Amino acid sequence: MKLFVWISLLLTLPVNFTVARYNYSYYGDVIHSAPGFTFAQYFNATTLGLNVNNQFTQPEDLIVYGDQIYIVTSGDSALYIINDRFELQLRKTSFDLSAELETQFIEEGKVVAPQTLNKPRGIDVKDTGIYIADTDNKRILKLNFDLEIVMIVDSIDDVTFESVEFEPAKITTDSTGRMYVVASNIYEGILELDTDGSFNRYTGVNPITLTPLEIFQRQFMTEEQISKLERYLPTEYTNVNMSDKNFIYSTSLPSANNDSNMIQLINPKGIDVLKRNGYHIPKGDIQFVVGMNNYVIDGPSRLVDVALYKDGIYTVLDTKRSRLFTYDSEGNLLYINGDAGNQSDRFSEGVALDYLKDRLVVLDRQLNQVIVYEHTEFGNKVNEAIGLYERGEFEAAAVIWEEVLTLNTNYEIAYNGIGKYYLRTGEFDKAIEFFAVGKDKFYYSKAFKQYRNQIIKDNFGYIIGAILLIPIGITTYRVVKKVRKGDELE
Amino acid sequence: MKEKLALVFNDYIKFPAFILTHPFDGFDDLKTQKKGKLSVAIIFMVLYALLRIFTYQYEGFLINERNPLNLNNLQEILSVVLIVGLFVTANWSVTTLMEGKGKFKEIFIVTGYALFPLIIIGFPGLALSNFLTLEEMPFYTLLMGIAYFLTGWMLFMGILNIHEYGLFKTVLAFIATIVSMLVMIFLGLLFFDLIQQFIAFITAIIEELGLRR
Repeated sequence: MKLFVWISLLLTLPVNFTVARYNYSYYGDVIHSAPGFTFAQYFNATTLGLNVNNQFTQPEDLIVYGDQIYIVTSGDSALYIINDRFELQLRKTSFDLSAELETQFIEEGKVVAPQTLNKPRGIDVKDTGIYIADTDNKRILKLNFDLEIVMIVDSIDDVTFESVEFEPAKITTDSTGRMYVVASNIYEGILELDTDGSFNRYTGVNPITLTPLEIFQRQFMTEEQISKLERYLPTEYTNVNMSDKNFIYSTSLPSANNDSNMIQLINPKGIDVLKRNGYHIPKGDIQFVVGMNNYVIDGPSRLVDVALYKDGIYTVLDTKRSRLFTYDSEGNLLYINGDAGNQSDRFSEGVALDYLKDRLVVLDRQLNQVIVYEHTEFGNKVNEAIGLYERGEFEAAAVIWEEVLTLNTNYEIAYNGIGKYYLRTGEFDKAIEFFAVGKDKFYYSKAFKQYRNQIIKDNFGYIIGAILLIPIGITTYRVVKKVRKGDELE
Repeated sequence: MKEKLALVFNDYIKFPAFILTHPFDGFDDLKTQKKGKLSVAIIFMVLYALLRIFTYQYEGFLINERNPLNLNNLQEILSVVLIVGLFVTANWSVTTLMEGKGKFKEIFIVTGYALFPLIIIGFPGLALSNFLTLEEMPFYTLLMGIAYFLTGWMLFMGILNIHEYGLFKTVLAFIATIVSMLVMIFLGLLFFDLIQQFIAFITAIIEELGLRR
């Protein structure tokens, strides 16, 4: 019966796949799953009351600060501030200089005039101010909350920028105001700029490693041949987002050698510390069509933004297939949402996303609109259980996991959650059962070890008895036999 | 009954174990005194196929990476038949040209007997793998490694003795056997492809005729 259900599920997969209500099992199979988000609302130029043409076109980046959404658009090069009821609060295209910067401008003999944006592509808002990556003006603007410019960063003191122009694309800042910038055509890593805008260093640098075979081949090549080889470029970042502990979540483009670190968590030392303990490495879709094909979308996911929720849960946006992948802090894939399409409740070219309290806002560049998602019952329960587990309330978490299982029996992570509870209470036999279903080998091994010890401890007398009695029995049997034979002989 | 049991024990455990520990004397007995039985070889092969199926399904959870939904008994059995069949045929065809003294039947029996360590270690090892933790799993891997090594050893010594070769010539024969196995696989695939295209051609003609009528 179980097998039949599995097979029928697998057969109906192509149908289910089109609406992307799926998840990946331990074995990497696509299995049916409940979605974590559901459409709540959308807003665009019309609902915001912008009737003039060419307003709110090509939105590029979105960030939530407090209960306000900040959006920059490259079509009309403007900054939008929208409140949590999705009403327009402000639209601004030119910004005055602050008094301090004005005096500085006069000292340097520059023209004091309001500054406009030119196709900005990145924005970040923190307590220290509003940071805009003003891409085509090749500068970063820092505004205060009166929307006056307090700082302009337009030249970077590094050798790289003697040959390449500084085109900031995405930006994030830490709690002290240090800026982390992803710039176009920069392969050295993420730019770290100090609070005053001076260049600090590159962080998140991924060294290229060659396989022994490649090194061997290169031994026999001339300089010319090597220069004609395909160039191995380090990771090209697409977006960065600072967590409240000043660790940077980053996404990067798929390439030949970064299959396992498309999503990174870069610590202040510049090292990737993202946990990848789930069934599969967090990288969006695990199964996809490889190779040239004009009829289906092929290749790995193209992750462009990452949004942080509470308890270490984060969501990444795949712009290629318009899907949202949500992971927990351990790297477990929690739920997948995907609604590609041109209707108001779907998005066709997601470029940015962020959490607005419990809601998720996704920015669609092509349809010039923002989709607001809220959690489904399933998504809520999963988040709650993970939160409880993070805080160490294992029993409460196990209860919620049970409820999750009634909503989605295929949900392997839930079985592990319950298993961990039983492991803590010492019911090892039950724990083993749940870990076996949840396919958690590490914890299964732990529980099994305890279970085995328990059995040995309980039956220690019998085991020792058997070990002693069996050899004694056999030897006495042999002796008796010998003695009898001896008797017969005599 | 007791005698029969003793005979079975002798055929299936004692004699193969004797070959394993005394390869020269053992295979000499197998060849000259006809102690090796075809039935035993076949049973060993069947047991090996069974072991493969059981390993797929029942190997300890901590080491088993195979998806139980993908288990295909026929595929497992066929792969054993294919490997053994290919090896025996290839070895026979190579060794007849290399003045080997072994007959086809003897090569087949030796191949079957060579599976003995794998079976005698494999089944208890399989059971054991269910009682080990993750840290103890290397023991199981080591055990199976030993089993495979002994099987290879037995096969090598068997071929050496059955054909009355020297060490160097046996190695050469093995290399030649592998090459000829590859050639056979290549020819087989070619044949299948041709037949497939031929059938497709015939069906296309029939279809066309049906439409023209």
